[in-house]
Amino acid sequence: MAAAAPSAEFSRQHLIDPEVCIRCNTCEATCPIHAITHDSRNYVVDFAICNACNACLSPCPTGAIDHWRQVLKSTAYTLDEQLSWDSLPPPIELEPGSQAEVPSEIRELTEIATAGQGGPASPPWSADHSYVNLYSLAKPAIATVAGNYRLTAEGASADIRHIVLDFGNTVFPVLEGQTLGIVPPGLDRNGRLHFVRLYSVASPRDGERPGYNNVALTIKRVTADHEGKPAIGVGSNYMCDLAIGDQLKVVGPYGASFLMPNHPGSSLMMICTGTGSAPMRAMTERRRRRRALEEAGELLLFFGARAEEELPYFGPLMKLPKEFIDINFAFSRAPNQPRKYVQDRIRERAEKVVQMLRDENCYVYLCGLKGMEEGVIDAFRAVCHEHGQNWDELKPELLAKSRLHIETY
Amino acid sequence: MEPAGAIADTLTSPLVDYQTHPDRYKHYKASYDGPVATLRIDIDEDAGIRPGYKLKLNSYDLGVDIELYDAIQRIRFEHPEVRTVVLTSAKDRVFCSGANIFMLGKSSHAWKVNFCKFTNETRNGLEDSSRHSGLKFIAACNGTTAGGGYEVALACDEIILIDDSSSAVSLPEVPLLGVLPGTGGLTRVTDKRKVRHDLADIFCTTTEGVRGVRAREWRLVDAVVKPSEFAGYVQQRAVQMAAKSDRPQDARGITLAPLKRAIDDNGYHYEYVDVEIDSASRRATLTVKAPAKAQPDDIQGILAAGANWWPLQTGRELDDAILMLRTNHLDVGIWLLKTQGDADQVLAADATLAKHKNHWLVRETIGLLRRTLARLEVSSRTLIALIEPGSAFAGTLLELALAADRTYMLDLPDDPGTAPKLVLSELNFGAYPRVDGVSRVESRFYGETEPVGKARSAIGRKLSAQDAAALGLITAALDDIDWNDEIRIVLEERASMSPDALTGMEANLRFGVTETMETRVFGRLSAWQNWIFIRPNAVGETGALKVFGTGTKAKFNWERV
Amino acid sequence: MSTDINYSEKIPNNVNLAEDRTLQRALEHWQPGFISWWKDMGPEGSLDYDVYLRTAVSVEPNGWAQFGHVKMPDYRWGIFLTPGQPDAKIGFGEHKGEPVWQEVPGEHRANLRRIIVTQGDTEPASVEQQRHLGLTCPSLYDLRNLFQVNVEEGRHLWAMVYLLHRHFGRDGREEAEALLTRRSGDSDNPRILGAFNEKTPDWLSLFMFTYFTDRDGKYQLCALAESGFEPLARTTKFMLTEEAHHMFVGESGVSRVIQRTCQVMNELKTDEPAKVRAAGAIDLPTIQRYLNFHYSVTIDLFGADQSSNAATFYTSGLKGRFEETRRSDDHVLKSETYRLLNIIDGRLVEHEAPMLNALNEVLRDDYIKDSVGGVERWNKVIDKAGVAFRLKVPHKAFHRKIGTLSEFRVSPDGRVISETEWTANVTGWLPTAEDRAFVASLMGRVVEPGKFANWIAPPAVGVNRQPLNFEYVRFN
Repeated sequence: MAAAAPSAEFSRQHLIDPEVCIRCNTCEATCPIHAITHDSRNYVVDFAICNACNACLSPCPTGAIDHWRQVLKSTAYTLDEQLSWDSLPPPIELEPGSQAEVPSEIRELTEIATAGQGGPASPPWSADHSYVNLYSLAKPAIATVAGNYRLTAEGASADIRHIVLDFGNTVFPVLEGQTLGIVPPGLDRNGRLHFVRLYSVASPRDGERPGYNNVALTIKRVTADHEGKPAIGVGSNYMCDLAIGDQLKVVGPYGASFLMPNHPGSSLMMICTGTGSAPMRAMTERRRRRRALEEAGELLLFFGARAEEELPYFGPLMKLPKEFIDINFAFSRAPNQPRKYVQDRIRERAEKVVQMLRDENCYVYLCGLKGMEEGVIDAFRAVCHEHGQNWDELKPELLAKSRLHIETY
Repeated sequence: MEPAGAIADTLTSPLVDYQTHPDRYKHYKASYDGPVATLRIDIDEDAGIRPGYKLKLNSYDLGVDIELYDAIQRIRFEHPEVRTVVLTSAKDRVFCSGANIFMLGKSSHAWKVNFCKFTNETRNGLEDSSRHSGLKFIAACNGTTAGGGYEVALACDEIILIDDSSSAVSLPEVPLLGVLPGTGGLTRVTDKRKVRHDLADIFCTTTEGVRGVRAREWRLVDAVVKPSEFAGYVQQRAVQMAAKSDRPQDARGITLAPLKRAIDDNGYHYEYVDVEIDSASRRATLTVKAPAKAQPDDIQGILAAGANWWPLQTGRELDDAILMLRTNHLDVGIWLLKTQGDADQVLAADATLAKHKNHWLVRETIGLLRRTLARLEVSSRTLIALIEPGSAFAGTLLELALAADRTYMLDLPDDPGTAPKLVLSELNFGAYPRVDGVSRVESRFYGETEPVGKARSAIGRKLSAQDAAALGLITAALDDIDWNDEIRIVLEERASMSPDALTGMEANLRFGVTETMETRVFGRLSAWQNWIFIRPNAVGETGALKVFGTGTKAKFNWERV
Repeated sequence: MSTDINYSEKIPNNVNLAEDRTLQRALEHWQPGFISWWKDMGPEGSLDYDVYLRTAVSVEPNGWAQFGHVKMPDYRWGIFLTPGQPDAKIGFGEHKGEPVWQEVPGEHRANLRRIIVTQGDTEPASVEQQRHLGLTCPSLYDLRNLFQVNVEEGRHLWAMVYLLHRHFGRDGREEAEALLTRRSGDSDNPRILGAFNEKTPDWLSLFMFTYFTDRDGKYQLCALAESGFEPLARTTKFMLTEEAHHMFVGESGVSRVIQRTCQVMNELKTDEPAKVRAAGAIDLPTIQRYLNFHYSVTIDLFGADQSSNAATFYTSGLKGRFEETRRSDDHVLKSETYRLLNIIDGRLVEHEAPMLNALNEVLRDDYIKDSVGGVERWNKVIDKAGVAFRLKVPHKAFHRKIGTLSEFRVSPDGRVISETEWTANVTGWLPTAEDRAFVASLMGRVVEPGKFANWIAPPAVGVNRQPLNFEYVRFN
């Protein structure tokens, strides 16, 4: 396979591992659109027919069915090629897509964001393979705005928006926890192109609406800088002002670390503030959609905001059943209430938190403003101490097992 | 092997109809003189029931025999004063030369078999009336008496042969036609006439037959009489035999009015009998209905009702329905037997039949029912009785279920009110013997006293499916969940099997243990005949039946099989 | 007939059980009988175990593989048919092109019942054959796989019983009862097919059995999945998705045994069976002998090479060929022929026979092709380890007990040989008592999570992406 030509269209190709497959015919019998066929050697998937509905995955007794390769549409593996295989060909990087090739400004942003865990780390062992850097500034993907809703109450001081982007026929595979980049159009005050703004994907991998090729973003209109002085955020205002039908340039996806585990029984502890809730929403939604499979462990959420009205997704969150997700809100500006921060709630739930920190199958995610990071870590240290656990010994272990993921800005 | 253009192509030919009336007779003339009735055979050679042959020399076909059957039936019911029937010929020098050979040569196998079945039943009917009703028959053989002609004479109580030095009795089928005398000839020569078997062997292989004194000496006839004395002798014997009969002297008969019968694409519809034909499934449903209103229970009322009296009308309708189905619907292989109505009315009618069984009309009615029910078991059809809610399988109508190859009864343990019942009556224990002379209940249990006794002690009780199953009166009690599917599968399975093998199997299983002359006629004689009828030696291009009358000699395959 | 059973809760199904009185009534009697059979004849001593099982709760892609710990007697044995095709037509035989039957045609009742009963009988039979194996499991993972196979054989029994109950009335109910009363290996009341009365004495036998004999099941089911009697076709199609797991247990099981053996051979740098055995692994020649045995016994299950029953079943639309719809002939086969093997004057020769009569052989040959494929995949494991040895399926005529070839002695490489030569060499071709005793001697019980017996390699991945040290079975 040749390297991708600049104008090539990418696609995910579904393949079956001939080394693992036992030729039981189940996939072929299951496929509702007859995309799978076989000869006396191999079972193979017809690239021209397969629509990745995944109906064949769970009936496969071996797991041989669950293989995907990013390919150029024009040079996808033919049936004849597949029928001749003894084993899967090695994956081919479409663009030499190692982190080194990620644009330097993205890399810098990532390093800053993940400083709390000592830079980018490995994803959980059962995370799915993430695709990164499929679209660059030189050749961005074009998305169309399919929705733009205000999440916070009208009177609230924060204008946080839920924006849905549709990729049409363009492949833009994302996993929960990944980010994508937006380049605001036009030039900055200095006459240069705007730099890339990274936004966490707020929808699960199968789309904001299952089966649609779309993603959701959670974006707060920036009206003040870090010090509180009035400032107009170029990127956020561009995004928040988009109308349905507008087209925009998207790069990415990025991120191969802040990913969720997929193995049955795995639990999530999610700590976030403000728009840091985006990846948490994506992961929660992923788990919600698969709830019927009864495969998952627990979900524990600590969610901080100034007040109820400023908490994105507050309504939908309140509707989730308690046995599905254990939600702990912290409001720092609720009227007539003492100020509460997420670290306070973590302390209140010490026993549960420690139990989950000790659980090999629990993964911890922290996302939000830089400022929360320290407080949360202090709270972890404190609750651990309370329960005879040494946080400073535990933390490296968590990091080594990719069980602690921090992304702050 | 079937001849091209076989005359019994029932799909294209008009229906054969068994209903007729003396006004329309073409072949028989009846006259009445006190206790003696005379039936003169005078066959119109141009009036065959199907075209293509001439009924020469008083030779008969099905149409002729339908008239004989009707004539006898009318003597039974319309002329109770008749005690002796003289069967003779209106033609010179020939009494009857049997079934028409050209007709046989042109007929399909099925037509031949059905024709023989019916003629056998009619001849058995003569003996049945002689045995049960005091009606005696004299064959006054005033000319050549050959083949089927001699066989009908054999069915009479006495055979008087004219001694004119030419008229003989004969069974020339074997030497001449390469088939058997198929309407009881071989059986009656031995069983009834007790002709020694070696003499019978000579008789049956001699084309010209036996006449004169030797005929009497060999017991082939009862008397040989010179032409001049013939009429007088016949009359004398007729009167002598009449004197011994218990038929009434002064009774007036009833009129056998034509049956009210509607025929449409679905079948035959009478007042008490309905035949629904499902051609696609090759099934017919025969439903017999109980009387809707109370029937007379005294003689006066019965006589007044006449042919409309429920037992008689039902018997005639059922008889006609069976004959129509047998002749006109060869591929309808399964008859579902059902009943409908108020079982108590049937039981009341049964009580009346039992009470007045010695009255001539009641006796004749029981006789007609007996012969009609007996027709069922000798029919080459699968009989399956279905006992469902609203049915009236009681007494006389229960005989239908007892006659069936299988009987399925709906079991509704949770709804005894709706569940069908069956009821035995006294009439189930002897009034309607089958052709083997045994009642259906007795035959069902091979005469074993215990089960028959248990059944007898259940007379009058309304038996649920479970009761009936426990008494062995039904094949299976099926509950409502199973019913539809079980019945569907039974019927579909049955419909898929070889019709020939089923006919053979059913005939074998229906008649166990007891042999009578009738069972021998239907079982042994007919079975052999039916085999011979399809063999090339009879019906092949050079077979004996085929080349008869052409001057060509038959060519046989000499292998004995 | 009132009842308190919540059918759809207790018995997952897509056959409208809650409103089908015929089925309910039948199952009310049969289900307790089944549970009591399971308690008597199911995996020994396992009633209290919590087993990480896959349960089908619907035929949707996401519904038929639900995982969780279950006590086996509480397993939700369900009744599933793959969704029907509207306007489906019979694909072969003299009814070809007519609409498929939704009800049993009375004409074919006896044959269909026989087909279903014969298939149904194998399901409980294999559970009975395997009931002691749990006591010698090489790992929790394998123990769980065994139990999964067992409960699914149980479900397959349910599937066949469903057909008997739903479509065969009283006879069907009686046959369903009889399926619970026959016993594998009981000379007074044996299972119908010979191979299902043989013992499955050790795990190598189990793996060979699930590889070879369950594959026979696959081919039989595939042929029935073509049936003109649609409920049978739809039932067997769903069974095939489960049968796949059984073959996986077999193929990966043997593969792991081979992997371990090769590893030991490489560690010891030896190919001497005795040394391999001394190191507690199963030498490759022994594996070959087991293979020879199971392969030859299984191909006998396809029946005589010429069979009028097979012809009748095909012509009447009851049982098709493997992948009938993918074949390009006329699907009536009246004028087709097929080449069969015979032995004349001591030589194997081919002769032509009408294909209709040779359909057993057609299915057997399809099966053989498929079986050989898996054996080649085992050889890849050997190749990968750098060991010079190849496993081979024996010649079709080797060690046959059914059909024309059963009258002759044929070596695994396909030479017709004398009785003397057979006797002199048979110990090299079929497992000896000593082989079996040796394999039996390795069968210890390993139940510590994540540990595996010495004679078998761990699998590449766990069940449902669980780690290998997952507690697949809890003994309580």
